[in-house]
Amino acid sequence: MNGLLAYISRRLGVTVLILLAVSFTVFVIFALLPYDPATLTCGKNCNDPGIIEANRHRLGYDKPFFEQYWVFLVGLFAGRTFGEGAAEVFCAAPSFGYSVQLHSCVTDLMFDALPVTLSLAIGALILWLIVGVGLGIVAARFRGKIWDTLSTAFVLIGTSLPTFLTGLMLIVFLVIKLDWSPFPAGGYTAPDEDIVGWFLSMFLPWVTLAFAYAAIYTRFVRSQILEISTEDFIRTARAKGLSDRVILGKHTMRAALAPIVTMAGLDFAGLLGGAILTEAVFNLPGMGRLSLGAVVDIDLPLIVGTTILAAAIVVIMNMILDIVYAFIDPRVRV
Amino acid sequence: MLKGKKSLKVALATLSAAALAGTLLTGCAPANAGGTITYLTNSEAWTHADPQRNYTGMHIAWFGSYLQRTLTAYDRAKGADGSAVVPDLATDTGRASKDNKTWEFTLRDGSTFEDGTPITCEDIKYGVSRTFATDIITDGPTYAISMLDIPSAADGSSAYKGPYSTDATNDKASFDKAITCSKDHKTITFKLKRAVGDFNYTVTYLSFSPVPKAKDDGDQYDLHPVSTGPYKIKSYKVNDSMVLVRNDKWSASSDPLRANRANPDKIVVKFGQASEVIDQIMLTDKDKTSVSLDALLPTNLPTVFDDKGEVLAKYKGRAINVYDPYVRYAAVNVKKLNCLPVRQAIYYAKNFDSLITLSGGQAFNGDPADGVIKPLMGLDYAKTGWATGDKDWKPEGNPVKAKALMDQAKTECPDLYARATDPNQGIYYDIADTETSKKASAIWIESMKAIGVTMKFNFIEPGKYYSVVLDATKQGDLSAGGWAPDWANASTVVPELFTKEGGFPMSQNWEDPAYAEFKQRSDANLSEPDRVKQGKEWAALNKYAMDQMWVIPGVFSKTQEIWGSKIGGAFFWEPQGSLSFGDLYIKK
Repeated sequence: MNGLLAYISRRLGVTVLILLAVSFTVFVIFALLPYDPATLTCGKNCNDPGIIEANRHRLGYDKPFFEQYWVFLVGLFAGRTFGEGAAEVFCAAPSFGYSVQLHSCVTDLMFDALPVTLSLAIGALILWLIVGVGLGIVAARFRGKIWDTLSTAFVLIGTSLPTFLTGLMLIVFLVIKLDWSPFPAGGYTAPDEDIVGWFLSMFLPWVTLAFAYAAIYTRFVRSQILEISTEDFIRTARAKGLSDRVILGKHTMRAALAPIVTMAGLDFAGLLGGAILTEAVFNLPGMGRLSLGAVVDIDLPLIVGTTILAAAIVVIMNMILDIVYAFIDPRVRV
Repeated sequence: MLKGKKSLKVALATLSAAALAGTLLTGCAPANAGGTITYLTNSEAWTHADPQRNYTGMHIAWFGSYLQRTLTAYDRAKGADGSAVVPDLATDTGRASKDNKTWEFTLRDGSTFEDGTPITCEDIKYGVSRTFATDIITDGPTYAISMLDIPSAADGSSAYKGPYSTDATNDKASFDKAITCSKDHKTITFKLKRAVGDFNYTVTYLSFSPVPKAKDDGDQYDLHPVSTGPYKIKSYKVNDSMVLVRNDKWSASSDPLRANRANPDKIVVKFGQASEVIDQIMLTDKDKTSVSLDALLPTNLPTVFDDKGEVLAKYKGRAINVYDPYVRYAAVNVKKLNCLPVRQAIYYAKNFDSLITLSGGQAFNGDPADGVIKPLMGLDYAKTGWATGDKDWKPEGNPVKAKALMDQAKTECPDLYARATDPNQGIYYDIADTETSKKASAIWIESMKAIGVTMKFNFIEPGKYYSVVLDATKQGDLSAGGWAPDWANASTVVPELFTKEGGFPMSQNWEDPAYAEFKQRSDANLSEPDRVKQGKEWAALNKYAMDQMWVIPGVFSKTQEIWGSKIGGAFFWEPQGSLSFGDLYIKK
């Protein structure tokens, strides 16, 4: 047990160091970009140097680089105040800065967007795991038969259709052309407001996102099962006279599960950074659209915030997966 | 910056005011009350919801219809009648001193904010004061700064920096002298630094709306402005939606302009809708109570309109194709293109036909412009003799004439000629980075190649386009632009575009030898009390600017609007260049 705790402590320490490195790198990129952040804060008034300088001071861009980074780090733990007097804005910890373009603290914007992306990612994950793993098993079990051919066709369509096209087609044919469609043409309903509305607003985005991933997982699971089927322990099981169903369920799938879980964990973490196209087509106010808007509008504090958060999710998810592995396989703890 | 037109009709305004006063309502529900109107847009959010930061005609029309009142407003009427100014929070359209340097407005009784607090003169004064905080309250009109009698600081900016400034030199005393309130808090008086005969049009801007000081939190007020109109904000989430519900503290009897028109019970704006999805919803009439806030995609125009731009039978009564208040052009950076023959050569070489075809054709995009004042401006417009009035101008371009001008430039301004014709240098055109712009750039490049000029493009991210081109140090040689009069006077066009102090000085023409005379005439005309004489001079100055080719004229542009079949009351509100949102209702 002590070994496990030591391993977790080491992983936590490494995670914190990685997050610090990520935040510093993003900050360096921020500084190297050919944009003066102060000139992006005053719209058409930015042809007045006095206004640019006032905003540079108000938002702290007049400080030396390392001081700006230090203030940013402190803000993550203690919050941060922008401006003064009646126009003062306080962004509570963890403060990632203030978006002048959206008139909000970056953290508030991200915390508003994250539940939407979580809704999308969790639903899609469940759907693609059911469909992808299920079809992969069927394709492997009936290799060379009609089911395998059909699943190959599904894989081809799923991997070649761009997400935005799938989404648009679903909207046009299942929402707009269909008079009795219960699905909205886009938008998000929070589950605490209306649980049925939430399900209906998320169903087509889940299908759209899961379609692409399910195709990839079908191919992956099929190849995993076929590869494991040639292993010695499977041959032994077969020689012992176990039925195909038992071999598949008790031996092959158990061995195939670890890489599927790893892949799903990382895909899920990646999606939390934002499923940009699905969110854009279905008008979901999630992390993807927030990040996309930040890039399009060159909203630098928001770009920094969303990048660090997306990186943090991936790093933390990696850490969780490593810890889970350590539970399962003691050799990893060394 | 971005709205209406029409001649001044003071008499009509007075009549309208009287008519409104005579039909004061006492709180009865409008005949078409009920239902929810849904607006669809591809935008992630409103550009601004803060009244002092609202500047585009469409936004002023929307917020002015539902949420914000100001001292005066445009009448809600079709055609030219819509450009008449009528009282809103004020009891009349304002009283001017003989020299038009002092204007006085008295507030109606019974007008309140959404929490029931009565609106006072001090609230309007505070709202106007926010305009001066140009570092925080960005993007709004700055007429209060240029008109109020407040001294300038050493750098030319106003000595008053707004209510948030903690600077000891902030000249609040001058602001307090420029706007005064009566003891009963009912009458507000504006003291101006120059005569402004149509100041009652200036105060139609939402930047003259009241703001309760206690609720103001600077930049963030943009997310939750306090309502003075018939609706209030229930929720507003960027990237998602805005929901308005009825403001139960609003008194119809204190607001005759909106009293009989506040029809829907609820108003929803859905942001971030994919453009193709919006068009499909509108074309199939899927949501019969929705209205598109965006232009139809060019590919869908033939579904709704015929080749002449007329609405097809299937869409009769729920679509329009009309002239908007804008003039589109390429602003010339005169500091860089400091040679008239080169500017004129570009004008003659431009292939207008191909550019307009690219944007949907003349039926949808508009007519060739001969200046920056639209013919709809009536008093202020006269033909300039350029574009269709110029025998040498050809829609497909006139390379022969253009080449002759380049030959002239070779001797008159050899440096610029050498740069323009050098394939390694050339002339730079700033344009927002869109698919249509990229296609347009190919047409421009081909047109210029025909006369030996190298044209290159700066594709600028649309969100920061104007912050780049309005920065004198970053602007290229030519920059795409568009402008509409702020109200029915070209005083909001000519000086705004072509004087150094103007709100949109993209031509950087103040070092041009022709500028001194122009500036002197423009300044003098701002104070001209005779409106007819003033209009003639604006028309002459429009021609003067065109003769110097301070812009390469584009089009007097058009716009297309579409709405669901159960939406009633829709008409094009000319002064704002948009639908009259406040008149919409759900058909029974």
